[in-house]
Amino acid sequence: MDKTVETAKPDLKQVDEILSRYQDQKWPLIPLLQEVQDEIGYIPPEAIEPIARGTGLFPVQVQGVITFYEQFHTTPRGKNIVRVCRGTACHVRGGRTILKIVKQNLDVEEGETTPDMNFTLETVPCLGTCFLAPAMMVNKNYYGKLAPPKVRNILQQYDNAGD
Amino acid sequence: MEAITITLNGVEVSGHPGMTILELARESGVDIPTLCYDPHLIPIGACRICLVEDERSGRLSASCVTPIEPGMVINTKSPKVMERRKMILKLILASHPDTCLVCDKGNRCELRKIASDMEVGLIELVKIPQLATIEEVNPFIERDLSKCILCAKCIRADHELVVQGAIEYINRGFTSKPATLNDEPLEKSECTFCGTCVAICPTGALMETKRPYSGTTAAIVSTICPFCGCGCNIDLEVKDNQIVRARPGKGSTVNRGTLCVKGSYGFDFTRSAERLTSPLVKVNGDFQVVSWEEALGLVASEFKRIKENYGSGSLALLSSSKCTNEENYLLQRFARSILGTNNIDNGSRLYSAANIIGLGSPVGFPGTTNHLDALEQSDVILVTEVNLTSAAPIVEYAVKRAVKYKGAKLLLIDPLQTGLSSFAHLWLRPKIGTDIAFINGMARVIVTEGLLDEEFVTRKTDNFEALSSELERYTPEYVEQVTGVPSDDMRHAAQLFAGATTASIVYGAGITQHVTGTNCVMALANLAMLTGNIGRRGGIYALQRDCNGQGACDMGTIPNLLPGYQSVEDTESIKKFADCWGTSLSADVGLTAVEMIEHAKDGKVMSMYIMGENPVLSFPNSTLVKEVLESLDFLVVQDMFLTETAKLANVVLPAASFAEKEGTFTNFEGRVQRVRKVVEPLGDSLPDSEIVLRLANSMGCPMPYSSLQQVMDEIRDLVPLYQGIGYGSTETKGERRDELDRDPFRNRRLYKGQFPSGFGRFSPVQYEPPVEIPGDEYNFTLLVGSILHHSGTGSKTSRSPRLSEFSPEAYVEIGPSDAEQIGIGQGDEVKVISPLGEVTTVVRFTTTLPDGVIVMPNSFSSTPVNQLFDIVLDPLSKTPALKACAVKLERI
Ligand code: SF4
Ligand code: SF4
Ligand code: SF4
Ligand code: FES
Ligand code: FES
Repeated sequence: MDKTVETAKPDLKQVDEILSRYQDQKWPLIPLLQEVQDEIGYIPPEAIEPIARGTGLFPVQVQGVITFYEQFHTTPRGKNIVRVCRGTACHVRGGRTILKIVKQNLDVEEGETTPDMNFTLETVPCLGTCFLAPAMMVNKNYYGKLAPPKVRNILQQYDNAGD
Repeated sequence: MEAITITLNGVEVSGHPGMTILELARESGVDIPTLCYDPHLIPIGACRICLVEDERSGRLSASCVTPIEPGMVINTKSPKVMERRKMILKLILASHPDTCLVCDKGNRCELRKIASDMEVGLIELVKIPQLATIEEVNPFIERDLSKCILCAKCIRADHELVVQGAIEYINRGFTSKPATLNDEPLEKSECTFCGTCVAICPTGALMETKRPYSGTTAAIVSTICPFCGCGCNIDLEVKDNQIVRARPGKGSTVNRGTLCVKGSYGFDFTRSAERLTSPLVKVNGDFQVVSWEEALGLVASEFKRIKENYGSGSLALLSSSKCTNEENYLLQRFARSILGTNNIDNGSRLYSAANIIGLGSPVGFPGTTNHLDALEQSDVILVTEVNLTSAAPIVEYAVKRAVKYKGAKLLLIDPLQTGLSSFAHLWLRPKIGTDIAFINGMARVIVTEGLLDEEFVTRKTDNFEALSSELERYTPEYVEQVTGVPSDDMRHAAQLFAGATTASIVYGAGITQHVTGTNCVMALANLAMLTGNIGRRGGIYALQRDCNGQGACDMGTIPNLLPGYQSVEDTESIKKFADCWGTSLSADVGLTAVEMIEHAKDGKVMSMYIMGENPVLSFPNSTLVKEVLESLDFLVVQDMFLTETAKLANVVLPAASFAEKEGTFTNFEGRVQRVRKVVEPLGDSLPDSEIVLRLANSMGCPMPYSSLQQVMDEIRDLVPLYQGIGYGSTETKGERRDELDRDPFRNRRLYKGQFPSGFGRFSPVQYEPPVEIPGDEYNFTLLVGSILHHSGTGSKTSRSPRLSEFSPEAYVEIGPSDAEQIGIGQGDEVKVISPLGEVTTVVRFTTTLPDGVIVMPNSFSSTPVNQLFDIVLDPLSKTPALKACAVKLERI
């Protein structure tokens, strides 16, 4: 599971609310988990019990599904998700340095979230854009042919966003 | 259904449609190795070790999930199969540690067995490093998941059989493994330590810990669990005259591969250092070890003296709902034919005697009316006032399976939250002691809304008019006012129950240990008869606390009933037994258990013989009970341990444990099952039957049996319910087959759609306000109940090292807001005080209790809750009220 980040208790009311929207119908688990994650940003462990009740499953079964799929997260995630590629094409073109720069800039390790909850850093086996190597993604945007200054610029863009 | 014929290893065999290749192969005696398959579980085809080849196409398929098809030509050992199977095996072994030599699973490891059958060595592939052992501190189960082969059997057993939901796979890929919620140790999870997953795990990944004795099993003996009345079959593995472990009995339709924590781990009480190993006689206040001759000689001469001086009525015997049928039969014969008294009762008087009249009079048979399987097939299950998790674990599993996998609806009537609450379709919480009003309310709704099974009521029952007029009072408004349950909910419950094709009722001590217990059982019987759920489908399931509660009653250790519920006041019955035993018999109704104490107090009973019961802890008003027993002219106690009661005796006779004797137990369903000797009696202890027989000899009135089989033969002849039951061809060497079990219900006509007397008789009963209502001073209602890790007064379970380590002491459960009001906190020591006595214990918060209700377990000798209860008997069953009383709490 993801490393834990100290945050305030999640608001389970949101989970109850999502469940109550579909009260009398048997919930398909995966769409429900997706909805919870979309709304809260992650699936708080405390939500497992109510979700289990709503779906007629055992809590361990819900945990099993959450931990099986990479798309689900059990700790809060940053506003922006940075995914740096570790694929072969990127590797031979300096992907390792890119990752190092990102880590330095954000001051977090892989899988971690910045204390201000702005960024979560992840790595992926291949982004499927090898022709852009070395590559990374921020949220849904691709960035290729990276070099350290460019990386800093990109991150700065997101740092200011929303302020 | 057309049979399907296939060719299996060159031989034509046929099976029924839907059968898998594996099932047909096993039936035909062809062995196919399996790892993830188990007959109790839904097959998933995960391990692929059971591959077979269809020679027509050359296709390989997993035989455990492939149904047979006409014309298949299956080879289970073709070169292609063998090659692939070996490959699969090697891959599994590649990630398995090389610890076979020191692994406790030893010869029971299926992986190792298959590897050696296929001549695959352990190290032929590069090893993949594995996860480490999990730190666990519970005394039952240890996990070493480095040995896990991911067959998911444990998970499936946990979900499909015991329906607990304690474990499931976590993560995926290399880090995937069975885990609890948040990957905590088992003791911090939902796990109940039932041991089912341990028994089913094919490798050493799940193992029992703290075994009383280690070593490779030399023999396996099938017998019956000695704790609750469910009657689970257990296989005890033995070595060097020691029990190594217990596993769920193979092929049992009672427990189907499962057990509870007591059955799996509790047997270790048999080797407790506290076991009595020789007869004791009290001389000047101290016990002295004596020989059997001396002890029995003394008992015989004292009994004779007392009988001669004060008459037979001055002697009273308490038999045991934990002893076998044969032992109970022998003791009542001893009482009636040798001592000449009907003063004989058994321990089930304290919890289930309400069934004798409560079911006996309306239904005609004083016990459960259908078998467990039928319960699981019910559409609606009404569980009233019983915490099945502790009182009858495998019945709980069956109810949960019915709800989760068979679409049954559970109607739970219980003021307390139980393990079933989250499975309930409707959970209603009437005020304590108001069940009769509630059930009558349901019955009235069924009658007034025309929901009854009219054909059944007309053709199979009588006294309906009386019932329906007596039900008038129980309008939904009145019932709501009495029980506190909204009338709409009550009505909904009634409609649901009556609307079901098959509806069943489960109840236990929560009903029968009230002063109004018998009436409440009748109210339930009325409900079952109104809806036609008796004698054909659905049924009434009356639970038993002890392993032979049903059998002890069947055997006539009851003061007014001879074996088979034949009345002592009926001249024909008396004559039948008198003729068989060659003596005259008393037709005077004897004393029930608690009445014995009352009569002893008045000096009318001078001497008692207590076999395997512990009244000082189990009867109400223990202070009085102790005084009275101490003041008896002569007290004999026959037990495995020097219990609180045995300490008061003049003579203590050491009894053998369930594992050290032969006989039969009858479970709550009425199934008569064989108890077998597994190890030799400890020290000089003897089976209870042997002690009674020897005592009869010492009295100069030998009973004419040279084996227990002869006792069972006599029972068969004299007790219609047990007709056709005999030890049969049981002891042939090697495979032991039991004639006993072949058709366990053949004599219970209720199962075949007939009431024994032809008609069921409605018995109207009225609600009376409970006497235990809390007042100004004693402002809490205390409910006393059983807990999972102990049984009865705990005389066995408290001496089981593993059970007592896990659950060492009593506590009182209280709601946090109630606690706050009187200024006590979690973990505080408090006095629980009733008008009669007090006990000291520690506080545990439970958020789900109704206001003003506190709960305590009843199985701890250090916290004898029975001390708090005064003697108040149900006037019909003479069962003492031991469920609820008014108390106050004081902080220490
Ligand atoms: S622990 Fe045992 S039963 Fe469970 S998956 Fe692993 S090998 Fe199978
Ligand atoms: S011991 Fe029983 S409750 Fe615990 S995990 Fe195993 S099957 Fe489930
Ligand atoms: S105590 Fe009851 S449920 Fe548990 S194993 Fe024994 S008979 Fe079965
Ligand atoms: S390797 Fe980086 S995008 Fe494919
Ligand atoms: S036993 Fe058939 S696939 Fe495992």
